[in-house]
Amino acid sequence: MKDLLKKYLDSGISRRQLMRGLSAVGVSGVAAKTLADSFAPTPAMAQAAAPGGTDGIREVKGNGGMLYMQQLKSAGVKYMFFNPSTGDAPFYDAAVDVPEIQLIKGIQEGAVVAMADGYARLSGNVGVAHIANVGLPNGMTQLVNSWKDQIPVLLTVAAFGTETAGRDYAQDYDHQEPMLQPITKWFWVAESTAGIADVTRRALKFATTPPSGPVFLSIPDDLLKAQATAQVYDKKLFSVPMRIRPDQKDTEAVAKMLIEAKNPLITVGDEVTMCQAEMEVLQLAELLGIPVAGQGGQGNWSKPFPTKHPLFIGAFVRNMRFPGPVDVHFNIGDQGAEKQMQGTTLISMRRDPTGLARAWPVNMPLVSDIKLGVADIITAVKAMATKEKLKQIADGRAGRAGEYSAGMAKLRQAMATDKDAGSGNSINMVRLGVELEKGLEKDTIYVSDCDSGRSMDPFLAWGGADKSYISTGPNILGWGVAAAMGAKLARPDRPVVSCVGDGSFMFGGPQPLWSQSRYKAPVTNIVVNNMSYNNERNRIWTFIAGQQFKTGKDMTCYNGSPDVNHAKASEAFGVEAEVVIEPGKIQDALGRAKRANIEGRPYLLDIHVDRAGVGAASEWYPPFSIADMRTRKV
Amino acid sequence: MRKLILAIAFVATTFGVAMSAQAQQGNPFPEGPGREIVAVACTQCHAPNAITQLRMNEAGWRNQIYDMVLRGAQIGPNDIDAATKYLATSFGPGVPFPNQQPVDVKLPDGAGKELVEGGCALCHGVDRVAATNRSKDQWEKIVNRMVFYGSPISGDQVTSIVTYLDQNFGVKQTAAK
Ligand code: HEC
Ligand code: HEC
Ligand SMILES: Cc1ncc(C[n+]2csc(CCOP(=O)(O)OP(=O)(O)O)c2C)c(N)n1
Ligand SMILES: [Mg+2]
Repeated sequence: MKDLLKKYLDSGISRRQLMRGLSAVGVSGVAAKTLADSFAPTPAMAQAAAPGGTDGIREVKGNGGMLYMQQLKSAGVKYMFFNPSTGDAPFYDAAVDVPEIQLIKGIQEGAVVAMADGYARLSGNVGVAHIANVGLPNGMTQLVNSWKDQIPVLLTVAAFGTETAGRDYAQDYDHQEPMLQPITKWFWVAESTAGIADVTRRALKFATTPPSGPVFLSIPDDLLKAQATAQVYDKKLFSVPMRIRPDQKDTEAVAKMLIEAKNPLITVGDEVTMCQAEMEVLQLAELLGIPVAGQGGQGNWSKPFPTKHPLFIGAFVRNMRFPGPVDVHFNIGDQGAEKQMQGTTLISMRRDPTGLARAWPVNMPLVSDIKLGVADIITAVKAMATKEKLKQIADGRAGRAGEYSAGMAKLRQAMATDKDAGSGNSINMVRLGVELEKGLEKDTIYVSDCDSGRSMDPFLAWGGADKSYISTGPNILGWGVAAAMGAKLARPDRPVVSCVGDGSFMFGGPQPLWSQSRYKAPVTNIVVNNMSYNNERNRIWTFIAGQQFKTGKDMTCYNGSPDVNHAKASEAFGVEAEVVIEPGKIQDALGRAKRANIEGRPYLLDIHVDRAGVGAASEWYPPFSIADMRTRKV
Repeated sequence: MRKLILAIAFVATTFGVAMSAQAQQGNPFPEGPGREIVAVACTQCHAPNAITQLRMNEAGWRNQIYDMVLRGAQIGPNDIDAATKYLATSFGPGVPFPNQQPVDVKLPDGAGKELVEGGCALCHGVDRVAATNRSKDQWEKIVNRMVFYGSPISGDQVTSIVTYLDQNFGVKQTAAK
């Protein structure tokens, strides 16, 4: 099967041939499709030399809005997420005549940006968002998620006209574009109509060139209205694939260290996902029997290594009890795991040179496309030792790791039994995790924006042929429901589930449901409703342990009173929904959600769960009533 | 959130040094079987105060360890009993807080007062009980939680305590303190 996938990735065989081959080796239809999907080459990877001459270059005439849309079209952009304002009209007028670009409306700018972000994470393409200049700060919060996770998003606004900007008209405020500086790779104000195609192209190039990230383009509205002629280029003429591989000497040195290490450890992060290097990392770990840690907790947005694999040992923490003192630590594509442990040689392979060795000393920094770099190391390892020798090394190491991960799995099993017994008739996170693992399809794309979810995630199987986990590294809330809409657009043939905390749901509001409803996005949305900023309270009470902890007065985190009914809010937006309170009713509710999805409709489950951690029982909040302040009953 | 990150970064950067400094200044983790597990596995992400400021019985600590294992603590099936016992012994009901002055709080007289003094002052002072007025339903939830943590009171006594707390620290009597 690995050979098949390898052939596919090396473009030796077509997707259809791959699927046929997979079913011949006994992989079921759905799983084969999932595998084929998850290993689909990104457009940047499929790069072949573009022929010279004028191929891929078009001359277009029209107003600035048309030049912008035509350049997007040439770049292969299929969707534009938007929320309109008057000055933007030329974009949308152009859209009437550019049917290749589908407009997707969001009704709050945060939702617009998070949809574009979710689409970009799942498609590998740039997410294009256009919002009103006055709504820009609304979108910026979500753009921080894209910035921190290096997601390619092009955000544009129509700005005040070149001749009137600065007069302080009602909606004009000076120099809005530098607001974006700290959270974009590049920001720009277009200076002429003819130049709009050119700056759009540049924006797309900067957004997508690894290390990718969001860019911002402001186009004055008079330039959008004026006419000009300009050339637009196909994507292949300006996209930079950055298929960088490390120096051969370095890969050989790494291979040697990994072979000779007494107690090696691999950590993995999101750059593995970005470079679609899941298969290579798995191969390397298996080849040498090296335990793999990481891809959980804050700072990570994906889980590229299969979590049920015997070599996966869980979170990366310092002074790991298992595997004990590490002599060689090979970090593959994770910023957070680039931490020195005493007596350890740290090798870090990163696609992002700015992140590499940014905070901690690294003994051997390697800049590389993760897929190519790891493949080179595999080749070097195979050249250095016989198959028998490698098997001998791997078996010894993998045996220990397998014992450890099996022990942890057994413990989780015990927790599930224990916690069920103790949970009475309410739903705790362990039970919810167990139920979701049972009820969700194996090939689900699970979009998580749920702080408490971290304690149920280990009950679900992620990576490999199992569910795909997508979240945000910085945990900037209000992202999940909108991002799931973007994910479904990118992968309409995979089940998509969003899972968000009640706090997170209310940050984004029900607004993203409007888009799910309007565009018939069959997504299952789960609100994990503990009526609290539960983990925030845990951290405040635990790590700060000030007056709130000492008096039991939760000044900030209780969300009940009003006890919001998210199902009702959902129904107001045309998304069928229900409240789930009893553990025994979760499966039936998931079944109804699945049926709605099959029939082409989104669904929402407002699942009431126990609060957990310090102060979980407390529903106290500072009492205050404006009605009581009145001296007149008005 | 930023504070959490700082706290973790702090623990992470100073970990090696911190342990030896702790050893000199009196380690927050007293000697006892299981100490070697907890002192490593429970200090990898946060400072020990998360633990040392609480008092719970075995059920409470086991529950806490479960949650931490799900977050990434490396405590396996062979260690969990020892770690639980260690925590329940070192930080169990009745274990005093070093360097902490007890806050003197006079509880109002009434049926149930002695039960509160006996059942609610083992793990923290009654000051924490008297600090905040709550509804009866809330007192019931909190007292039940405290019983789960190891408050040595029986079913009838729970009712008496809840009635006492509702009468003296309920929401009807006074505006919130
Ligand atoms: C992988 C990191 C990690 C490890 C290891 C860890 N903790 Fe925690 N701990 C946390 C986090 C994160 C929180 C804050 C909870 C939140 O975010 O909701 C926390 C909170 C706590 C709290 C406060 C109550 C709560 O649940 O919020 C206690 C008590 C605690 N930890 C005890 C322990 C014990 C005992 C161990 C060892 C078995 C341990 N921790 C190991 C990450 C960790
Ligand atoms: C076995 C130890 C223990 C005993 C005995 C105990 N408590 Fe607690 N109590 C705790 C802990 C631990 C906390 C910390 C917060 C938490 O986890 O709820 C706490 C916190 C509280 C709080 C703050 C609010 C909250 O939910 O955190 C109140 C109020 C309280 N206790 C009341 C009581 C009362 C009333 C009793 C007697 C019935 C009692 N406690 C007995 C361990 C105990
Ligand atoms: C946009 C945004 N604002 C504020 C925060 C700070 N914050 C972190 S977690 C949290 C509470 C989350 O509550 P909920 O989504 O209900 O998750 P729970 O902890 O209850 O599972 C808040 C407010 C944030 N991360 N993002
Ligand atoms: Mg919540």
